[in-house]
Amino acid sequence: MRKYMTLFIAALCLASVAYATDSQIWGEMRIQNILGYGQEESWKLGPLFTLLQSKYFAWIFLGVLLGVPLVFFLHYKIVGPKVFPHSHNKHYAFNLFHRTVHQIAAVSFLVLLPTGFIIVFGDFFGGGTLVRMAKNLHGLFTIPFAIVVIPMALMWLKEALFNLEDVKWFMILGGYLSKEKQIINATQFNAGQKMWYWVAILGGITMILSGAFMFFLDFKMEMLHNITGLSQIDLLRVAAILHNVMGFAVVALFITHVYMSMFAIKGAVHSIITGYVEEEEVKILHNAWYKKLKEKGKF
Amino acid sequence: MSRMKFYCDDNRCIECFACSVACAEAHELPTGISRRKVITLFDGIEGKEVSTSIACMHCTDAPCEQVCPVDCFYIREDGIVLHDKEKCIGCGYCLYACPFGAPQFPRDGAFGAKGAMDKCTMCAGGPLETNSEKERHLYGQNRIAEGRVPMCAAVCSTNALLVGDAESVSTIYRKRVAGRGKGA
Ligand code: SF4
Ligand code: SF4
Repeated sequence: MRKYMTLFIAALCLASVAYATDSQIWGEMRIQNILGYGQEESWKLGPLFTLLQSKYFAWIFLGVLLGVPLVFFLHYKIVGPKVFPHSHNKHYAFNLFHRTVHQIAAVSFLVLLPTGFIIVFGDFFGGGTLVRMAKNLHGLFTIPFAIVVIPMALMWLKEALFNLEDVKWFMILGGYLSKEKQIINATQFNAGQKMWYWVAILGGITMILSGAFMFFLDFKMEMLHNITGLSQIDLLRVAAILHNVMGFAVVALFITHVYMSMFAIKGAVHSIITGYVEEEEVKILHNAWYKKLKEKGKF
Repeated sequence: MSRMKFYCDDNRCIECFACSVACAEAHELPTGISRRKVITLFDGIEGKEVSTSIACMHCTDAPCEQVCPVDCFYIREDGIVLHDKEKCIGCGYCLYACPFGAPQFPRDGAFGAKGAMDKCTMCAGGPLETNSEKERHLYGQNRIAEGRVPMCAAVCSTNALLVGDAESVSTIYRKRVAGRGKGA
């Protein structure tokens, strides 16, 4: 934990050194930037970003923001939630460290998402102080998430690796399309949770890095520059495009995650608050894990 | 109404930086911001060296205007592209869209956050009351409102930097090319 803090602070210091020096964008690189804009042999990132940002991004975000909850609303009305008794045996699955790390990430997301949307629809909110504040909060709450993302990745890595059972899970969508309580042979995390894990971790890291590039503007990206041959401004364009596209996936799965834990499986959210998972819930939704716990005499 | 355009005749630009300095002085720009910049290609290579002066080109269908999430740009009837600094959130999107690297950002926020975007206004100020104290403070001089040419063009000793409606700029340029007897 300490190590990550130090790494993070070191990165911040490096960044401030980077922008103390004159920016490449308006210096040496400017000619290259102007000549390369929209040329046949270039990646046409300037025009591409302009097109995506002006015509598509906001609409896709709006689609995700309304579409995903709508699907779940229908699911709730038609299939309904799965309810498990919460008075039975319990197993202590998430220790204090797990829960703290998870909660820090959760709080960060609860600020990052709405503020992100305020920026995307900045026009609707009239610009100025409110949107500027949202932008600053968006940057600020990246810090707690950046601190916990690596420990979170490590502590659940083993559980999040895909296996053959997950294919079956995807074929019946985890049994969430039926009202019945089918026994699902998932391990501690089912395929849906694993998917969210990878999107949150890899997508999250992508969001942090691309966001940092855009925030600091003069972030020295020598290595990326050498590998891709892209100029600083084109790297920034890539960052902006990635940040938005990754945003679609993160937002969609975050809403799913919240719906699942709060509504689809009634009260499942308590397991990450108290640390205890409930016996019947585990037996039905995570049967492979249940058998293992049973063998060890945990239930 | 015809549109206002800049044109820098690289056959005449002698890389004296007067435009850049005069602009910064006239508008009292913070250090680190240069709305107009002189750029030299093939520096020191005889016969090839060429210099030109670049600022916001006040594009037709300006890309910066298309991407701004808070929609703070407005394009005047005469084609001058301006923006509202009080609405701007300093996200930098206009810079990613701009073909000329014109938008710049003073670092005035905490942790090096970008402040409101700054770029060449063609000496036409901003959305505030013309020639008010506040307009001058945020956007610099509004010379267009006073019927004067932008500072950079006013000080260009070789008349390399042309500004005006697109028609007359291209007329002058065509005459020059004809006079030189060689292509643009
Ligand atoms: S800021 Fe860039 S894109 Fe916008 S009008 Fe000026 S040159 Fe064109
Ligand atoms: S930096 Fe300001 S002017 Fe530029 S796109 Fe963002 S909000 Fe608009």
